[in-house]
Amino acid sequence: MDASRHRVPGELVFAVAMLLFGATALWLAWRISGFSSWSSPGVMPLIAAAAMSGSGLVILRNTLRMKRPEVSPGSTLARQFVHQVTPLPIALFTVLILVYMLALEPLGFVLSSFAFLVAAMFALGSRRILFTIVVSAVSLAAIYVIFQTAFAVVLPEGILRGVFK
Amino acid sequence: MTEALSYFFLSWTDPYLLFLTAAGTFAGIYVGAIPGLSVTMAVSILISFTFKWNVNEALALIAGIFLGGVYGGSRSAILLNIPGAPAAIATALDGYPLAKRGEAGTAIGLTTVVSVLGGFIGIIALAAAAPALSSLSLLFAPRDYLLLAIWGILLVGSLSGESLAKGVFAGALGVLLGMVGLDPLTAEGRFTFGSVQLTGGIPYVAAMIGFFGVAEVLVQLHHLAVKPVKQNVSKILPSWDLMMKYLPLGLRCSSIGVVIGALPGAGGDIAALMAYDHAKRTTKNPSRPFGEGAYEGIVAPESANNAAVGGAYIPMLTLGIPGDAVTAVIIGALYIHGLKPGPMMLLETPHLFWFCVGNLTLANIFLLPMGLSGIRIFAKIVETPKAILLPLILVLSAVGTYAIQNNPVDIYWMLGFGVLGYFLKMYGFQVGPVILGIILGPLMDVSYRRAMISTGDDPLSFLGEFFTSPISAILTAALAATILSQTTLWARLTGRRPGLKAPG
Repeated sequence: MDASRHRVPGELVFAVAMLLFGATALWLAWRISGFSSWSSPGVMPLIAAAAMSGSGLVILRNTLRMKRPEVSPGSTLARQFVHQVTPLPIALFTVLILVYMLALEPLGFVLSSFAFLVAAMFALGSRRILFTIVVSAVSLAAIYVIFQTAFAVVLPEGILRGVFK
Repeated sequence: MTEALSYFFLSWTDPYLLFLTAAGTFAGIYVGAIPGLSVTMAVSILISFTFKWNVNEALALIAGIFLGGVYGGSRSAILLNIPGAPAAIATALDGYPLAKRGEAGTAIGLTTVVSVLGGFIGIIALAAAAPALSSLSLLFAPRDYLLLAIWGILLVGSLSGESLAKGVFAGALGVLLGMVGLDPLTAEGRFTFGSVQLTGGIPYVAAMIGFFGVAEVLVQLHHLAVKPVKQNVSKILPSWDLMMKYLPLGLRCSSIGVVIGALPGAGGDIAALMAYDHAKRTTKNPSRPFGEGAYEGIVAPESANNAAVGGAYIPMLTLGIPGDAVTAVIIGALYIHGLKPGPMMLLETPHLFWFCVGNLTLANIFLLPMGLSGIRIFAKIVETPKAILLPLILVLSAVGTYAIQNNPVDIYWMLGFGVLGYFLKMYGFQVGPVILGIILGPLMDVSYRRAMISTGDDPLSFLGEFFTSPISAILTAALAATILSQTTLWARLTGRRPGLKAPG
């Protein structure tokens, strides 16, 4: 509703994407059972998707009415998007999470989490290497013990299978 | 009655439950206080860890975290000018100026006392109103549940976030996500794309942890460099005169908190802002001008947000409809433990109700000594660098998501929802309505179709029923009023800005 603020870079694209999302959902919901009856399984999905599409349109209209994104001179919108919305630490962190998830099962919880913690803390600007390693190890040991004892959670063992039993 | 009492005191007399409640309250204060950790996040992650526990143990821990967390946000609001939790946004407005005047100790002491006061009012309201509402709720028809669910999503959508459209979009997205999987009535697949995995639906705990855990961590990465300002904290226990002076305002704001908390969807964050607004409008001679360190400005939001906790339990335990985002997550926990929150729960498992009431009371009692002590250690913990804190939260989120079904695919869902949640937050959407939608979607679906089938698939008599039954008529009116209050027509009639907006 706030037409006075500037668009955040990428906001217009996101609004269009969400509208398309709503429209696709509408089409998929229609395919469930069409309008065969007022109480068919497809009706509530249709209503939800219609609400998404409708509000998506309003959001797009409101977004179009906002002032253009503020782009500092000598910069481009794409650069501004990277700077404001996906700055390097966040992108790097997301990639690290993905790698961590891929490594969780093959490497096991202990190794993958330790590597993730050290790498992520370093990426976020913790420059004292020894301190980072100690903090990671101590907190990981605490998490491991609490999980195994208090919560009885089964953690992936990976290549360390049998080491901690 | 004696039976109710024995369940009420269960967590007081069982040493392990007593310990869990105390530990929960203590941990909750820090969870609430550390910026970047929220109660909803902590409860979402805890659900996946406690699902193997006995349900009483899980509920004891969660009650402590909930009450402690709602209170804890005030400490960092006062000391650091950073609201540790959304419910403390209003507290920072006058709390931080107080700290700058060197009155941080008195401010913390006073907020502790009024938080406990608010907590008790909320619990008393829960104990008194829930049994009555429960017998009333047996009269609720399926269409009334449909109305309540829509109203809850709209309330949150309209009161927080940038605009009603964004709230509706987020809520509808949640409902749609809740529809994925086999239809509960006909066992037909919906949005399953032929995948066997998806017939079980979207793993909602992964969605909760994604939206509240991962997305929040990503947003917090923007504020890595913010350095807290250290405060000198001296005398903490407020004087008797000071407490008595603000008792009436505390009581008034507690009742605001209870009502807002009990409304489906709206919780402590909205209650605190409304109470602050109320205090500002009704206090003729504040101790200092509002915004410059008025005691009224911390009493009002802090009594209201803790009162909202008990309030939020009311619709959860009587109707199975969440009173706020945290209770939406707790409902998810109850489902996992095989319980079905709803009108039958108080009749079939009254012990659970009295256990919850007893638990909250106990946690609220713990809050007083814990709130009035430990400020020094507190300052150290809150200053934990985010570069260390955020990766740890992520490990907890990932393992929590994995633990629930030992399924690595759930972690990808978590990351996917986390990234989606991040962009939603960046562009002014709220993620609260999404979670409400996921929890309420299936309920809306089944309620809608039962109501429609009961009228013989006749849309006209279906719509007619919304006005003929008294309960439905009241709910329809409330829903219409909520939508109307968001339109420009309303603003022109009252000369005020539409709605009270919760920032962030």
